[in-house]
Amino acid sequence: MDEYSIGVLTNIGLFSFLALSAYLLLMAGEMSFGQQAFFGIGAYAGGMLTAIFGLSLPVAALAAMLSGALAAFLVGLPTLRLRGLYFAMATLAAAEMTRILFELLHFQRTLNGDLVGPDGTQGFRGIRWVFENGVEPLEYLAMIYALLLVALVLFLLVERSRLGATLRSVGADPELAASLGVDVNRVKLGVAATAGALAALGGVLYAHHNTYIEPRNFDIMLGVHSLAYALIGGLGTAFGPLLGVVLDIGALEGSQVFGGARMIVFGGLVAVLLIVRPRGLLDEKTVHWIRTRWR
Amino acid sequence: MDVLADLVQNTLDGLTAGAAYALLAVGFTLIFGVLRRVNLSYGAAIMFGVYFATWTSQHFQIGLIALALLSIAGAVAGGAYVERLCFSPHYRARDNSRADASSGSIAAMVASFALWMQFEEAAILAMPRHLYSFPPLYEGAPLQLGSFLLRVESIYLLLAAIVVCASLHAVLYRTRFGLAVRAVIDVPVAAQLAGINVSSVFVRIFALASAIGGLAGFLIAASSEQVTPMLGMWSTVKGMLAMMLGGLGSLPGAVVGGLVLGLVEVHSQWFFGPQMRDLIAYLLVFALLVARPAWMTRWTNIRSAS
Amino acid sequence: MAALLEIKDVITAYGRIEALRGVSLQVEQGSITCLLGPNGAGKTTLMMTTAGILRPRSGSIRFMGSEIAGAAPHGIVERGIALVPENRLVFPRMTVLENLRAGAYQRNDRDGITSDIERLFARFPRLRERAGQEGGTLSGGEQQMLSVARALMSRPKLLLMDEPSLGLAPLVVEEIFGIIRELHRDGTTIFLVEQNAHMALRVAHHFYLIEQGRVTFSGDPGSLAEDEVIHRAYLGSAKA
Repeated sequence: MDEYSIGVLTNIGLFSFLALSAYLLLMAGEMSFGQQAFFGIGAYAGGMLTAIFGLSLPVAALAAMLSGALAAFLVGLPTLRLRGLYFAMATLAAAEMTRILFELLHFQRTLNGDLVGPDGTQGFRGIRWVFENGVEPLEYLAMIYALLLVALVLFLLVERSRLGATLRSVGADPELAASLGVDVNRVKLGVAATAGALAALGGVLYAHHNTYIEPRNFDIMLGVHSLAYALIGGLGTAFGPLLGVVLDIGALEGSQVFGGARMIVFGGLVAVLLIVRPRGLLDEKTVHWIRTRWR
Repeated sequence: MDVLADLVQNTLDGLTAGAAYALLAVGFTLIFGVLRRVNLSYGAAIMFGVYFATWTSQHFQIGLIALALLSIAGAVAGGAYVERLCFSPHYRARDNSRADASSGSIAAMVASFALWMQFEEAAILAMPRHLYSFPPLYEGAPLQLGSFLLRVESIYLLLAAIVVCASLHAVLYRTRFGLAVRAVIDVPVAAQLAGINVSSVFVRIFALASAIGGLAGFLIAASSEQVTPMLGMWSTVKGMLAMMLGGLGSLPGAVVGGLVLGLVEVHSQWFFGPQMRDLIAYLLVFALLVARPAWMTRWTNIRSAS
Repeated sequence: MAALLEIKDVITAYGRIEALRGVSLQVEQGSITCLLGPNGAGKTTLMMTTAGILRPRSGSIRFMGSEIAGAAPHGIVERGIALVPENRLVFPRMTVLENLRAGAYQRNDRDGITSDIERLFARFPRLRERAGQEGGTLSGGEQQMLSVARALMSRPKLLLMDEPSLGLAPLVVEEIFGIIRELHRDGTTIFLVEQNAHMALRVAHHFYLIEQGRVTFSGDPGSLAEDEVIHRAYLGSAKA
């Protein structure tokens, strides 16, 4: 496989984590414009741990996930009472604040004569653990997809379990769920932390793939995109957000066909799609239909 | 005394920026308050209108008023396109269920985001440079009021904001259309039962909001004498922030929110620099959302924000 | 002669839940027809479907001979049907006067509207007292009167009323039903949903019983099974 295709597939894998993160929150009934913050936190934390403190990628990734979960918890706690657009705006504000904090973050150390570390708006270069440890692009790709597969399997297991039903019930009607004895706050915080960890995992992998990150990477556009992936791909299954990522990045790559008008075509298609399928391509009905055909 | 002078100057500047934000917030709030939907391409349609005016000004000699009208017309056209494609298909829940109604509103929002992308790409394709100059709103020195400087553009902006708000108030409280709008804002089902064609109200409010946005965009472009494709994102974010600060869904709140945002920004930037300016604005919005003081919930009229 | 309102085999669902499972009934011109039934039987769903707020999945609703099933609510008001909804649904942030004007939204005759408002104030003097007050500040009974008055502003040929006595004191309920009789005398056809079966049967010319989304009984007051009907209207029968 050539380098270009590996690059495209890698991007699809990386952003899938972000899309799944937004999807998880949607399952619990919360629309978040801010998952890109945890993606960024994972990127910066993981990057600093390997590039500055010399930790290995697996360890850094775990630490990144933990920081993502913690940050998500800290945002989720005060916003528990908020719903709908109020919640979405709060997540947007929190994410933008995070991005500005990245812009204010200057933490550089001299390693082997080079200055390494985040330098505010100048970004953070030199996240080279993957290259310094001889991981081939194809191997990295395989690693990403292995982790993604694990995440997917967990999603599918949860979706069929009682936990999944609880999640969806909280998402559909929190008052009803609460009256049936569900600790809605606990569920929401748990979901928020998990989604944060998931996004952060994507982030640390992203940072090590690009070797260079800057605050601008984690802006509002990324956030709305991640939400859009889930909503276009479909809310009926965890494959939905993945489909959304594939379609978007696939369209980006296939834009040769449309000259520079990729977004014009894609945007129009999305709007039309949402008219006939407000809950995305793989919505609950479609998934149900596929499942019954499978038997 | 210097501190006081700076404070007053900054307040004047803050009110000017705030007036622009107020107009943006009013347009946003009209759509959100009446349709109960978030239009993510509001800023993009404004940019589309302003770009249309810019393009025209590059090929023809036209005056400021014509430029303003073109901006408004472009924004209204853009808005109509968005309304037809993203919002009107989702007005009536297909299967009467509340779940369907709320998916409809999320779908509308995501669709409007997709169209935002369309507008941006179209603008960049038509006019690829990162920056274009825009004819100035006023050519001349700022007014000197004692030791304070007041840009004439600021007066135009503040006047525009006042006129728009007064006109909107007149429309809402003295016309039959305004009565219908307030009825739809109050209890949509009851408005339907009273025989009000709610879809038609939506279409007209959308046009009105787009027109106000187009005017705001023109004023912003003309007073800064430049346009960039980032105008779309910028207007959307500022409009939403101002709307949030003033309490979602309230028109007087939108104006107050806009002014407050302008003041907070200018003063924060003065004391703490440009990054802190944005940080403080976001922090304020976050804090207000989380705390949701009683006066804010009293002002908002949202049944459910989803 | 065909009835003013003919509902035939209407099925209305909320998502996958069918609330009306094939409802058929008729409202004769000039009558007061009553729909009784226990909570959750589908009474409000039927009213909302007739008024166009809900879309039926199938079935026919004919008003004065024309099919109106699935039409938009404003179209239904245009044809001459007005609904006084359950829970009144006055506009809380608009004044009493504005509420009335909203009811007349489709009309263009300024003088007619003004004289209608005068007449309604004469009929509901308490509304005149509160003409400038916001709807949300009115008492339950006053809101009910406002809701009825607002519906009347469109000069409907058929007035639908969904549980007008809900949550009101007995004296006020008497007043409301007095108004219902008056309206009937003045020529308005009334289709009334009521939980308060006793009151309803005192004014109705004909009534239907709806249980679990289907009409299970149709008759005139004074027919033999009345006690049984009232019992089922409150509690539902063992079998649907």
